[in-house]
Amino acid sequence: MTTSRTVESTDHPGVTVPTAIRAWSRWRWVRPSRWVLASIVLAGALLLGALVGPAGLTARSVLLELVGALPGVHVDSGLTAQQQAILWQIRLPRVVLGALVGASLAVSGAAYQGVFRNPLADPYLLGVSAGAGLGATLAIVQGGAGLPFVVPLLAFGGGLLAVAATYALGNTVGGGRTSAVIVLAGVAVAAFFSAVQNFVQQRFDDSLLAVYSWMLGRLSTNGWTDVVMVLPPVALSWALLLLHRRTLDVLAVGDVEAASLGVDVARVRLTLVLIATLGTTSVVAVSGLIGFVGIIVPHAVRIVFGASHRLLLPLSMTFGAAFLVLADVVARSAVAPAELPIGVVTALVGAPFFLVVLRRNKVAA
Amino acid sequence: MHHSSAPLSRRVWLGAVALLLALAGCTPMSAPAPAGTPANTAATTPAVSAAAFPVEVTSGAADSTTKVTIDKLPEAIVSLSPTATETLFAIGAGPQVKAVDDQSDYPAEAPRTDLSGFKPNVEAILAQSPDLVVTASKDADLVASLAKASVPTLVVPSAKTFEEAYGQIERIGAATGHTSEAATLISSMKQRIDAAVAKAPNLSGVTYFHELDPALYTVTGNTFIGAVYSLYGLTSIADATAAAGDDYPQLSEEYVVSANPDLILLADSQCCSVTPELVAQRPGWAGIRAVEQKQVIVLDEDIASRWGPRVADFVENLGEVVSTLELAKA
Amino acid sequence: MTPASTTNPTSADVLSCRGVGVHRGDNAVVSDLTMTVRTGEWVALVGPNGAGKTSLLHAVAGLLPATGELRVDGHHPMALGRRALARVVALMPQRPVVPPGMSARHLIALGRTPYLGRFATESAADRDAVDHEIARLGLAGFADRPADQLSGGELQRCILARALCQQPRLLLLDEPTSALDIGHQQTVLDLVDELRAERGLTVLAAMHDLTLAAQYADRMVLLDQGRVVHDGPPADVLSAARLGATYGARVEVLDRPAGPAVVPIRATQPPHPRAAHRPDQLGGTR
Repeated sequence: MTTSRTVESTDHPGVTVPTAIRAWSRWRWVRPSRWVLASIVLAGALLLGALVGPAGLTARSVLLELVGALPGVHVDSGLTAQQQAILWQIRLPRVVLGALVGASLAVSGAAYQGVFRNPLADPYLLGVSAGAGLGATLAIVQGGAGLPFVVPLLAFGGGLLAVAATYALGNTVGGGRTSAVIVLAGVAVAAFFSAVQNFVQQRFDDSLLAVYSWMLGRLSTNGWTDVVMVLPPVALSWALLLLHRRTLDVLAVGDVEAASLGVDVARVRLTLVLIATLGTTSVVAVSGLIGFVGIIVPHAVRIVFGASHRLLLPLSMTFGAAFLVLADVVARSAVAPAELPIGVVTALVGAPFFLVVLRRNKVAA
Repeated sequence: MHHSSAPLSRRVWLGAVALLLALAGCTPMSAPAPAGTPANTAATTPAVSAAAFPVEVTSGAADSTTKVTIDKLPEAIVSLSPTATETLFAIGAGPQVKAVDDQSDYPAEAPRTDLSGFKPNVEAILAQSPDLVVTASKDADLVASLAKASVPTLVVPSAKTFEEAYGQIERIGAATGHTSEAATLISSMKQRIDAAVAKAPNLSGVTYFHELDPALYTVTGNTFIGAVYSLYGLTSIADATAAAGDDYPQLSEEYVVSANPDLILLADSQCCSVTPELVAQRPGWAGIRAVEQKQVIVLDEDIASRWGPRVADFVENLGEVVSTLELAKA
Repeated sequence: MTPASTTNPTSADVLSCRGVGVHRGDNAVVSDLTMTVRTGEWVALVGPNGAGKTSLLHAVAGLLPATGELRVDGHHPMALGRRALARVVALMPQRPVVPPGMSARHLIALGRTPYLGRFATESAADRDAVDHEIARLGLAGFADRPADQLSGGELQRCILARALCQQPRLLLLDEPTSALDIGHQQTVLDLVDELRAERGLTVLAAMHDLTLAAQYADRMVLLDQGRVVHDGPPADVLSAARLGATYGARVEVLDRPAGPAVVPIRATQPPHPRAAHRPDQLGGTR
């Protein structure tokens, strides 16, 4: 990926431009049908998520059970009460939670990248993940791992604290005007929070396992409780981010030009960072640290569908949801009945996929 | 600090695996000593045989060819393993112990310090002027560093079988001049374990889920904990993963529910506040046989994770649990 | 127009500065600057690198705080608010930032920002306005191409179209053509001049090329180290002595029908290449 470039003193030679346009046109065929494509991919992922799992429910009975849940339809799926509990109380909430987490990480990642005009901007870079990690670690070493709400709430608080620290530091040092200073402040804050987190973790050896398993990422085991808990803040952050879709496009032309077009850059940036952080920490709190989604999904969408945030935000949400649901299918079926941490899956699947996409589009870069 | 998740995940993943392997020996302990333990009585028996020294003892795992030579009777032992500490005191070597690590909380009179067995600090260990260091860590650097200071190190890593556990007690006995007490302890343990097993009903076909932490890490039958359950014929629901070579797997929640274990044993009550009530409240768990039959048992995590003398207590406690079960297996 | 007249601002002034100072950090980049720009005028800001041209433009556009009395359309830029100011003043930067993958049309449409509510997107009327500017500037042929694949001249026309979408009264050009070849420079500047006549635009342009500036500007303001050195018609401002003093340059100013032309002169006249290397042909040409 390239960052925004400025125009150099010479015009492009005639040869370069057609080559570049051809590369750009490679994905043109998918553009008109993008909503259809996105819907099919998401629906397919959700269905696969509902069908696949180590409990050995047959596809037919799961489908019948799902159809039977529609109002006015009565079919006998043949599932026992125990199997119904597995489907409705364990597998489906996990699929839905995966979709919420994936959508939120992807759309927040797209927003961070837009706000800071930095293709690598993500919750890690701003210290959000480190802050959430510290909060979760404190909760776990104090014995909160088995209790509902304790780990999520402290993770959320830690993430907000970290982003506040990043912002305060960025404002003190750089007047808050340039995104580079904020990112540098984020790196410093992340290093500090990680160090504190490591220190706390080392002081409580016996909680290491619980801390590690949270940090590796896992779609939680609290059933619909987590979905219900995550949905309000996440939906709020989605709505607010989508409302800013055009503002993010304006920010893409840089601080000076955006300001000359009538945007209060510093205020808008703060607002968007808070919204994206709300979305990120809310899901990080229940899912642990799941990396890569916030970077690869928006980038892939940008390459295929273009950079306008009017498409980028909703499409990142859709494909992010599908991606994480599929990653979770891999996490719970690759070594069934054991599990892989989903963060490991997103990194293992995400990194090569990202390289392939980048390579195919090298001509355009 | 991590900009991308890939290095983080890998590091943490490896860390978690390493941790899991080490876990069995390294959880803290806070429960009172069950009746019948020899830990407090043996210390009063002065039967040190200094004449046997120098002595050569196997160091490392059971199949190790490494030998450590101890020139004279050790009188300033540093133990960095809670299991080794329990063994030392159980065979009457307690008076020779100068310092134990921060996790060695049993018996109460063990001279606990802030030394770490997880991340051993060589200088801090040497500051105790030890003449023998006993550790469960396979950290080769630690052994080499201590050797440079002419301090012998006896490595007794986490055991996988009863034979290994007994062998370690023998080795610790030989290294500290308590060979006969070690033999006595071993035969007493064997007797108690045989008696407990003989009393229990035949439970072959009964399945269990041993919960190491709320993320549903558990054990297979190939572990030391699994070997204890195997005494009663109990089968881990995780044995399906044993072929994959992972003896401490993290199970899918829906797999745990669909495997429908007869017995759930919580080894994460002290660390993570998990209770049978919270287990019953987990979505979808109410229908598990163990939950329905109220067979969700809280274990003492320390006794259930160390492979020392109190294994006999673990076996006896488990025997009591299973003999009260109305596990009418058809 | 004489320098003295600029101290008496009238209602016809789109821009008036009296004792204006601009700081970047602790450095004063513009000090005690007094000048006015009347409606419909084209004023060229000239001066050596670091004279404060861009800083002054940024202060007028409300991007930098200014001290002293600065009035844009009768208001202080900072007091007017960003959106209101962006409807009066449009800035055309020297090296516009082009987001990868954004189409030219999309980039141009960003000019409608000051007319849209905070969460709104372009209405049909806004899209018509965008289409109008695209057609006026002859951009229809590549409006749907990614802007980062346009040539420099095409891109500057897009940025001009974006500025026009702001429907400004005052157009600020920050060395708008210094990245272009001479043909494209003329194309863009001719366009700006036509639009100025069509729409009553006022143009304040920081320009490097003194000859070009003299051809298009009604008036020139020569800045040096943040202060006005001279303010007047191009023919008055461009004297060899004055340029020598401010730029440290050796130039000759030729008086041509199209306006004064500034020609640089080398310090020492080099030997004629033919005279040095091909003496045999020298005699033949004589």
